Amino acid sequence: MRQPPEVLPSSIPVPEAVLRSSSYVWYYCQRAAHAIPGMRYVVSYVRKSHQDDPYRTLFELFLIIYGIIYFFRKPRKQGEQAAPKLSEREVEALLDEWEPEPIAQQNIKLEWRAKSTPVLMGNSSAPTRVNLTRDEGRESYSDVLNCASTSFLQISSDPEFVKAAKDTIHQYGVGACGPAGFYGNQDVHSELEYNLARFFGTERAVLYGQDFCIAASVIPAFTKRGDVIVADDRVNVALQNALQLSRSTVYYYNHNDMEALEELLEQLQERELNEKLPSLPRKFIVTEGLFQNLGDIPDLPRLVELKRKYKYRLLVDETFSLGVLGANGRGIAEYYNMKRDASVDITIGSLAVALGSSGGFVLGDNVMSMHQRIGSHAYTFSAALPAFAVTTASRVLDHLEHDNSAVQKLRSLSQLMHQLFIDDSELSPYIEVTSSKESSILHFRLTDEYRSRVFHTTEESLFQELSAMHAKNLSEKYIEGCEREEKLLQRIVDMALKEHKVLLTRNTFVLKHETLPVTPSLKLCCSAKMTEDELRSACESVKSAVLACTSE
Amino acid sequence: MSSISNTKVPLFGPAKQSVEHKKNNEFGPLTSDEYLYQVHSRNGEPLRDPVLDAPPYYVVVITYLNYLILIILGHIHDYLGMTFQKEKHRELLEKDGLAPWFSKFESFYVRRLKLRIDDCFSRPTTGVPGRFITCIDRISHDLNSYYTHPGTTTMCLNLSSYNYLGFAQSEGKCTDNAIASVDKYGLTAGGPRAQAGTSDLHLETEKLVARFVGKEDAMVFSMGYSTNANFFNSILDSKCLVISDELNHTSIRTGVRLSGTAVKAFKHNDMEALEKLIKEQIVQGQPKTHRPWKKILICVEGLFSMEGTMCNLPKLIELKNKYKCYLFVDEAHSIGAIGPQGRGVCDYFGINPSEVDIMMGTFTKSFGAAGGYIAADKKVIDKLRCDLTIPNYGESVPAPILAQTSASLRIITGELNPGEGLERLQRIAFNSRYLRLALQRLGFIVYGIADSPVVPMLLYAPSKMPAFSRMMLQRKIAVVVVAYPATPLIESRVRFCVSAALTKEDIDYLLRHVNEVGEKLFLKVSTGKAGGSLDGKPPRWDIEEVIRRTPSDCKDDKYFLI
Ligand SMILES: Cc1ncc(COP(=O)(O)O)c(C=O)c1O
Repeated sequence: MRQPPEVLPSSIPVPEAVLRSSSYVWYYCQRAAHAIPGMRYVVSYVRKSHQDDPYRTLFELFLIIYGIIYFFRKPRKQGEQAAPKLSEREVEALLDEWEPEPIAQQNIKLEWRAKSTPVLMGNSSAPTRVNLTRDEGRESYSDVLNCASTSFLQISSDPEFVKAAKDTIHQYGVGACGPAGFYGNQDVHSELEYNLARFFGTERAVLYGQDFCIAASVIPAFTKRGDVIVADDRVNVALQNALQLSRSTVYYYNHNDMEALEELLEQLQERELNEKLPSLPRKFIVTEGLFQNLGDIPDLPRLVELKRKYKYRLLVDETFSLGVLGANGRGIAEYYNMKRDASVDITIGSLAVALGSSGGFVLGDNVMSMHQRIGSHAYTFSAALPAFAVTTASRVLDHLEHDNSAVQKLRSLSQLMHQLFIDDSELSPYIEVTSSKESSILHFRLTDEYRSRVFHTTEESLFQELSAMHAKNLSEKYIEGCEREEKLLQRIVDMALKEHKVLLTRNTFVLKHETLPVTPSLKLCCSAKMTEDELRSACESVKSAVLACTSE
Repeated sequence: MSSISNTKVPLFGPAKQSVEHKKNNEFGPLTSDEYLYQVHSRNGEPLRDPVLDAPPYYVVVITYLNYLILIILGHIHDYLGMTFQKEKHRELLEKDGLAPWFSKFESFYVRRLKLRIDDCFSRPTTGVPGRFITCIDRISHDLNSYYTHPGTTTMCLNLSSYNYLGFAQSEGKCTDNAIASVDKYGLTAGGPRAQAGTSDLHLETEKLVARFVGKEDAMVFSMGYSTNANFFNSILDSKCLVISDELNHTSIRTGVRLSGTAVKAFKHNDMEALEKLIKEQIVQGQPKTHRPWKKILICVEGLFSMEGTMCNLPKLIELKNKYKCYLFVDEAHSIGAIGPQGRGVCDYFGINPSEVDIMMGTFTKSFGAAGGYIAADKKVIDKLRCDLTIPNYGESVPAPILAQTSASLRIITGELNPGEGLERLQRIAFNSRYLRLALQRLGFIVYGIADSPVVPMLLYAPSKMPAFSRMMLQRKIAVVVVAYPATPLIESRVRFCVSAALTKEDIDYLLRHVNEVGEKLFLKVSTGKAGGSLDGKPPRWDIEEVIRRTPSDCKDDKYFLI
């Protein structure tokens, strides 16, 4: 074998053995390298760099090795300490010691709720009347006026609609047996989406299987970290959930207070200008058409003005307002004589409320809808809505298009109902009505004065207490004052039912899920099939129950 | 994606056919008693470790290359499009000071990869998704950016719907029941359960469900996804821990995220990894504070819908009892379809349902209805009735769905039409085993356990998905192809959902065509180590021999690795 090439310069004092062995290694590596195709280029690169600066080769080698080690090392999160090594015995002891909380434990104090939930028995004499039992059949009532149902228009209870639904079941069966993407999308779904879009004046509609989960699916489909959401501070739980899942920065403005909103938007704009973000964030204003907990209506023209000025998109949850507001039931946009596609970017609607079917939908433009069909989980990962619910809704829309008498009737009843309560000076020391006259649900709650006198709580104190519980992460969220207030309201419901055969309901809520201020309230719903006299006498009954219970 | 025209799918009236024909097209009559199989309970025996067949090396390389080419082409397309066709890509750009709905990067996969094969998804249908499904013909324009409909339909053999027990029907006891319920209760439920949306039909169905799954009490909801998505926030908070199988359904993940709970995932069905994780978590407690967790909930699915694998329930119960964790099992696909009596994974493994803390499932799949349920001990359900969001804020279940559910449940248990439920259960068991073993013998790679009615067959290269789907549609067979992100990147697959409504001859028809298409697309790449081989060599049986021998062989456990 010939003399191996000199690798390290002889000018450096290195022991001969090291020099020799490294030379040999180098030599054989080179020979091996030539055997691999394409290695020529690597070798020539290394050789060139080596000739320029031999230490550079060493340094690069070191970098490569470091890279490999770094790559294979288990990443450790910053600030995390290495877990202390525990002996087998210690581990066993810890495992033994751990006692979990029970998975769920009923609070006995809440049991009255289950007892007072009405169970409707079907086969009623008229759509507005029900037979019901409560407390596992211990109480039973027949021919009660149903002022708790949210199917306000009652169109789908007409015989021809019932017949059409039955025909659909005879043609399609009940379930769609698959998500929309996998053969679950039937011709009737496409038809209804088309009809919804046309009726409400948008480019597209997307159907969902249930109304409650829509918000929590649509909003996260379009938002990511860094996006901005500005929301009303009385939005319902569905929207609260959605905001939590959105990953965005959420700001709240005072309920329906447009000045406060403008101020907030102004501040946010300034902040954004100062921050010099790499890309424009998506920005949304989130509100409701008719508030689920209060029944009032936001100032849409102002909202649209603000959203245009500050470059936001507007999302309106119209679960309770579609079919109710506007001359033809086209919701808040029609109520303010505005075009929906030019004012509201995302509308969330329900088929299960005024339209009298089940499921829900989202209205918006083409691009938004297309993206939703891929990015919105409740759409892509869930079975399509059953066909009979779809055709029922389609027919109701058809009906509304050329006959708005039900909507008009509902409106006049709503106004009557509100008038009867608002004009009654006897009631005003005890209750206040929060809903707008247009709302088909009359929302009323105890007055602040009465609440603080009897239960020693206020809306603020309730919210503070609740926030403190959220902060402490208590498993059980229970507020005595709130519970007593709810019980009082339930007594009103009970009395109206027992003595006057009128079914109204508490606005049920779960403290655990409320992250915004709520107060207990009652709901009295009217429907287009009621007669004026029926409603009048129901209102009188409820009023007398209110007076009897509050002055106990 | 840019030029979306608002073409509407035309409406089709009821097909003109006799009632007898209609019934047969929805649920094929049994052709021979040979084609039934009674599943036996495993009496508490856990599953063996799964054997996963892997394709030859070159298939993996080709698949990656396939993606690489698609991605490069996509980027070139994007670049050219953004330079020369700004108008067509308007939605990717800022407009009037508004950020685009989605960013170019986020939507790349959808725009440049999925859109190419969009004709394989969302095919519109009409009528009952039973034994056959009526697909509405459509013509794709401008690279799938919109479709037109010539107004014709094609009746396809249905391997796509989750119609395990064949209850998607428009004639029969279930339909009668559903229709009768409309007269009695109307079409809408009238509000949340806690307000005025509860009827006696709800309570009755809940009792039936509870009895069926073997729990004390149950609750029903109008949508399966939302059942999961709105469940966890009522029992968990940020001081609890969820240990979740990595392949759990999105609904579970959404629900867990909403609850703010800490989540740790373990490798799919890897019980050793699970045990290690549980031990570590109990010992370490919460991050930073190291306080003990309040509760630990293990979440798994009964039958995984993309894999056809089943949770290893006996092992899970052992672990859960040993470490005092709670167990949540989502039986969306297994309830009705699995077990000697169709009562899901507990039935299959012969385990007392009281061992599982929370059982969730849906009525969309085996019962031909819609919605979901949660079953648990009475005290837990009582608590949930007060605490869940849906019964307090959301819509309740409309009557026809409840009626369909309760009728189909009673058929399965034999209360209604005695014998019919048993036949359905035995048919789906036979059909699943037959299809699975036959595909394995033909040389395809199939995932999952013997009795799973979900039979995923691996395609690997993404371009084989549209090829397979379109060729099957030409042969009048409706199949579902799935790819990333629902599966790992290279494991694109076709998912056959077997139904009791299919006859053995339907499956023969399917097998002949899959065999032919499989040859053309080079899909027969199995090594036989996961089943199908008798001599240890890669199985490549002749189709006629498969059809001759498999119907009797598939009843024998020795041909399966379970
Ligand atoms: C495991 C699992 N859970 C829940 C669901 C959702 O059920 P549904 O389609 O009834 O909404 C599915 C449906 O695909 C599922 O696979």
